[in-house]
Amino acid sequence: MSKVKVLVVDDEKDFATTLAERLNIRGFETTAVFCTEDALALIHARNIPDVVLLDLKMPRMDGMETLKEIKKYNPAIEVIILTGHGAGVPLTGIDRGKHGAFDCVMKPADINELTVKINQAMIKKGNAKI
Amino acid sequence: MKKERGWIKRVFIDIDEYHETMTSPERYRRFRRTLFLVMTTTFLVPLIMTTWLSYYEYRSMMLTNLRWNAESAKRTIETFLTELQTVLAYTADGRTFEELVDQENLKNIYHHLKLNYPGVVDLGIIDHDGIQQAYAGPFDLLGKDYSDRECFKVVTVSKTYIGRVEMGYRKVPHFCIAVSGFNSDTSQSWVFRTSIDATTLDKYIGKTGTGALSDIFLVAWKGERQLQSSSRYYGPPLSIYPFDLPENRHGITISEELNVRDDVVLTAVAYLEGTPWALVLLKEGYLYGKDWSFFKARLFFIVLATTVLALLVIFQITNLFVGRIREADEKRETMLAEIEHTSKLASIGRLAAGVAHEINNPLAIISAKTGLVMDLLDLSEDFKYKEKIASEIRGTSDAVERCKVITHRLLGFARRMDVSLESININNLMREVLSFLDQEALYRGIHVDLNLGDSLPVIESDRGQLQQIFLNLVNNAIDAIGKDGKVTITTKKRDKNSIQVDVIDNGRGMTPEIMNHIFEPFFTTKDSGEKKGTGLGLFITYGLAKKLGGHISVRSSVGVGSTFTVILPTKITLSRRAPDVESEGPGR
Repeated sequence: MSKVKVLVVDDEKDFATTLAERLNIRGFETTAVFCTEDALALIHARNIPDVVLLDLKMPRMDGMETLKEIKKYNPAIEVIILTGHGAGVPLTGIDRGKHGAFDCVMKPADINELTVKINQAMIKKGNAKI
Repeated sequence: MKKERGWIKRVFIDIDEYHETMTSPERYRRFRRTLFLVMTTTFLVPLIMTTWLSYYEYRSMMLTNLRWNAESAKRTIETFLTELQTVLAYTADGRTFEELVDQENLKNIYHHLKLNYPGVVDLGIIDHDGIQQAYAGPFDLLGKDYSDRECFKVVTVSKTYIGRVEMGYRKVPHFCIAVSGFNSDTSQSWVFRTSIDATTLDKYIGKTGTGALSDIFLVAWKGERQLQSSSRYYGPPLSIYPFDLPENRHGITISEELNVRDDVVLTAVAYLEGTPWALVLLKEGYLYGKDWSFFKARLFFIVLATTVLALLVIFQITNLFVGRIREADEKRETMLAEIEHTSKLASIGRLAAGVAHEINNPLAIISAKTGLVMDLLDLSEDFKYKEKIASEIRGTSDAVERCKVITHRLLGFARRMDVSLESININNLMREVLSFLDQEALYRGIHVDLNLGDSLPVIESDRGQLQQIFLNLVNNAIDAIGKDGKVTITTKKRDKNSIQVDVIDNGRGMTPEIMNHIFEPFFTTKDSGEKKGTGLGLFITYGLAKKLGGHISVRSSVGVGSTFTVILPTKITLSRRAPDVESEGPGR
């Protein structure tokens, strides 16, 4: 069974790489990129992740725009928003249905919670790999 | 306009100047004083001016009346005298000296004259030597010598003569009218004279006088100023008139004199043409016979009574007005304090959100790194300090977790909350909230009593925020009890526009000092044990309630318990919404 491919997009390099490492330990195949351009480039290069963990506020292109781009390119990619803002309740300001994010997780995120969310996203895709 | 504002500002109070002590008693005392003065002046100046004008208008009307009376009386007496003179002159012209000295003729003439002019006392003819040659009348005056009398001397020169009132030979007051004639045969002049009873003058003057006059009489302007007719004030004819007569002999002179009672009396004097007399009219100040001083007293009383009444009314109005302003100011101050508090909440919210947001990122890194270390430790085999390192890392993780609770709460308070309104049954909402806390209450042996009111109105509000408010309050109630106790939740309709929810615990209660601070940020009493408070729960709850147009209050007594009362409007109106506490969009 192939591993679930996760792409972490966050301009905080330390956070992105550490998170990727922790997810890898938990059996995911995780790549970390530090800007939205790199993320989109990767996706366009046919390196399609199953789930993207996307920070909202990043230089040049923010998370919401990136989300739209990803969904435009491939609606099957599930996106979980990772944000330092929002107080642990669903962001009412973001219309998730409209932009297609699967869920939203507050930073600092609990790794187990994150794993559960990724798996739920995979179930939604109808393709649970773990 | 600017100038006017400046004036008003000077007269009233410069609000800026008193801003610091807006409701200080001195400000209202000063305001009351100024308002009273301004209103009093505004009322009294027109009153005094009107009174003054009335007084002078009235006086000028009296002067005009007096002048008219004087002119009318002067004309009547002059006409009477001229008429008599003309009759005498006509009688003399139509007859010769011889005809006139005939006693019978003279008696006939006397009788005719007496019929028309009852005041005529007698008639006489005086020859050029001054001897009365003929006489008709009640006295024995035939042959009397008039040569040294003024009457005789003047008339021979000026042709006509009207004399002063005197006693003369007759010993009754009378005056004499004489005309001179000329005998062409003897080339000698003669005098035709008549005596008129002085009381005739009284009658004539009486006819001219109106009820409006106090006194009217004639005075001889030559010599000692003897009265020529009787006067109410100065006595019978030939008494002395005590005042000087005016120099001006033309027209009518009006002056003010004091009468015997020291009242001001208006005096009009008119010299009568061709006579030795001056006509004097006296008028005490008040029209139609009333006393002038009585009029003045009445005027003064009216002004005084009106002024006292007005001052009382102004005083009452001023008090009422200033009282209302004071009430309004106090209300405004309370509102300002409320607004200040709300805006303080907003500022703190923004600051807290900024700080929390900035802290969240490094916190996320620490959390991830410690997590990774723990992962690696789990994967590695045992080594000397493995357990120790794992324990330290757990300590770090716990600390990060505590920070996370704080930052998440701060963000929860400050995050953009688009109030999403929906119809909410508050009883159902309370049941939902309690379902989260059932386990906790059960675990601590706390009985939760739901006392939900019937037929509560459905309210329009934000479900998530209401849940947060009541979760916080019930959670606090459970914490206040600790173990084994009772939390009562009651809901009821407060009035047409609001409902009330009480969360009552029988916990340890609070002192008044603590109650004063419980809604302030970072104030907590949960400073020990594993459930250490952040000091943000009630602060956030308070802000949320305000945001939803509601209000939270608290009653408590130490050892008995606390009651938190939440009042919520059935409908949130736009003006009751507090300003949004956050301005940033969703961040990382």
